[in-house]
Amino acid sequence: MKLHKNSKKQTEKKSFLKKWGGLILWILLLGFLALYPYTKVSGIQLFSATQVFMLVTLASNWNLIGGMTGYIDFGHTVFFGVGAYMMGILVTQAPLAFAPRLSFWQALPIAGLVALLLAVSLGWVTLRLKGSYFSIAMLGTFAATREIVRILRPLTGGGAGLDLPPVLNRLGEYYFMLAVMAIVVSSIWWIRRSDFGLSLLAIREDEIGAEMRGINTTLHKLVALAIAAFFTGITGAFWAWQNTYIDPDVVFLESRTVEMVMTSMLGGLGTVWGPPLGAVVLYSIQNIVWSNLLNYHLLALGILLIFLVLFMPEGILGKLGDRSSISAIRLIQRWQKRR
Amino acid sequence: MTQFLQALLSGLLLGGFYGVMVLGFSVLWGVMGIINLAHGDFLMTGAYLAWLMFRTFNLDPFISLVLILPLMFVVGYALQKILLNRLIERPRLATLLVTFGLSISLANLHKILYTADPRNVPVAYNGSIELWGISVPIVKAIVFFIALGMMSLLHLLLQRTRLGKAIRAAAQNKNAAKIVGIDIDRVYAITAGICIALTAGAGAAISPTQAIFPFMGQPFTLKAFTITVLGGLGRIPGALLGGMVLGITEVMVATYVPGIGTNFGVALSLILLVVILIVRPQGLSSGLRPMNEDRS
Repeated sequence: MKLHKNSKKQTEKKSFLKKWGGLILWILLLGFLALYPYTKVSGIQLFSATQVFMLVTLASNWNLIGGMTGYIDFGHTVFFGVGAYMMGILVTQAPLAFAPRLSFWQALPIAGLVALLLAVSLGWVTLRLKGSYFSIAMLGTFAATREIVRILRPLTGGGAGLDLPPVLNRLGEYYFMLAVMAIVVSSIWWIRRSDFGLSLLAIREDEIGAEMRGINTTLHKLVALAIAAFFTGITGAFWAWQNTYIDPDVVFLESRTVEMVMTSMLGGLGTVWGPPLGAVVLYSIQNIVWSNLLNYHLLALGILLIFLVLFMPEGILGKLGDRSSISAIRLIQRWQKRR
Repeated sequence: MTQFLQALLSGLLLGGFYGVMVLGFSVLWGVMGIINLAHGDFLMTGAYLAWLMFRTFNLDPFISLVLILPLMFVVGYALQKILLNRLIERPRLATLLVTFGLSISLANLHKILYTADPRNVPVAYNGSIELWGISVPIVKAIVFFIALGMMSLLHLLLQRTRLGKAIRAAAQNKNAAKIVGIDIDRVYAITAGICIALTAGAGAAISPTQAIFPFMGQPFTLKAFTITVLGGLGRIPGALLGGMVLGITEVMVATYVPGIGTNFGVALSLILLVVILIVRPQGLSSGLRPMNEDRS
């Protein structure tokens, strides 16, 4: 077993800074961000910050199933879309005769739960299998859901979409997204250190081995996907509220999935702090370099993805950091040894 | 009754096309273990090439097939040498990510080159003939017979030639194939060339029957996956059978379920896939290699 070769290193006590340094930095950063609106900032700056928070949240969720568990999810936007549409339907229409129109706060948990239910029912079928079924099934679910949303015209408005009541409150949006991001990233930090997170890593590195050690792999994968889907659904619901308009094309956007994948890859696949770092880098690149070349945006992202996988699969954190402390590195070193 | 026969015929014709469309995907997966998420985008590339030749040289799509096949063979050969060879020994994670990146790059490259406007290839004979009260669309019938021809040729190549033997050997056991002196890199590159050429050829063949746009590829990738799971990796009769099942189901649903129309194909193939996975998680038949093999 490969795991045993490093067992001596792993049992050594990590230094205090290594163990808690990331979290302390993260809390300091959150504190600063909570005070940020009190400095003189414009609405646009708050809005961009909210977008970055959203990217961090989405990418962290994707990273939980894609990076830590090793099950690449090419349709994660479907949970975002389902959340957005649940918000849209519950707020603007009364789908059931007895149910009145709901407010934002009432619709929010329902949107998250519906995304979670979808994830559980899909994962129950596709996650029992090893291999690539999950990836393709998610890609299919993404495309199929977009079709179905178009067909269900009375409920979803079809291609014409739905208009939500416009409530412009940049400050409230900023704090809401900051809170969601804080919850998501902190939970992932906690998951990464818990038995549950270690089991996920074990599944990624050697699924059969993990099963033999008594880990219920299907259940673990399912729970990871469910958590990721729930928070993605919440984010989608929020996005629908913020954007005040949804239709199948703006909600089920393929580039959103690409950005989640790219952010995680760029920062460091399977790491806790990779997605936040990757989101900041990606957002800066997009705004500085590509804002003039809007047409080439996705082409450049696609090519960048190929180059990242081939030449820098460990991401920025892996390149910078202590290689042994990042779990993904071991996997990558194994790839390189085989070549 | 006529309506049923009509739907059955349309389903059969569509199924024949699906059978040839899926071959590239299925053989690439079977021989190299690469799941090519850019499959549909190579099909789109072929369709655009046919459109380009039709517009500039007024060349019939079925004649330009003769040019497109060798051209895309070279593209596939180069792709294998440059990109895919680096992925063979890596876990599926890397393969999926790279082909996904390739898919996005290809689709958006075509969007930049030709804009997102849908194009079509209006051939002169794009009508249909009546046979016993059933109308037979001419172009789709031609596509069907070309598909059968391509499938038979590939079958002969794989089963009857030394190259085919080498490809099958490489699929079954790479190391043993190396030991008996098969140049594995060359065999892989030729296989990739054949697969990409077949896929682009299928795209060129259907260019007269449907609108061509940069993002048309993804549904084909998804359908190809379902059909491959149905029919087995690299099994040509399986591909034809799986294609028929999907094609007929798709047309029947469009005909008999009101309010859905023809744009339900992806959802349908997904449902089919989920049903197969529930009933037989190991896939229906194995073909060139076991379907549930995990390489990571």
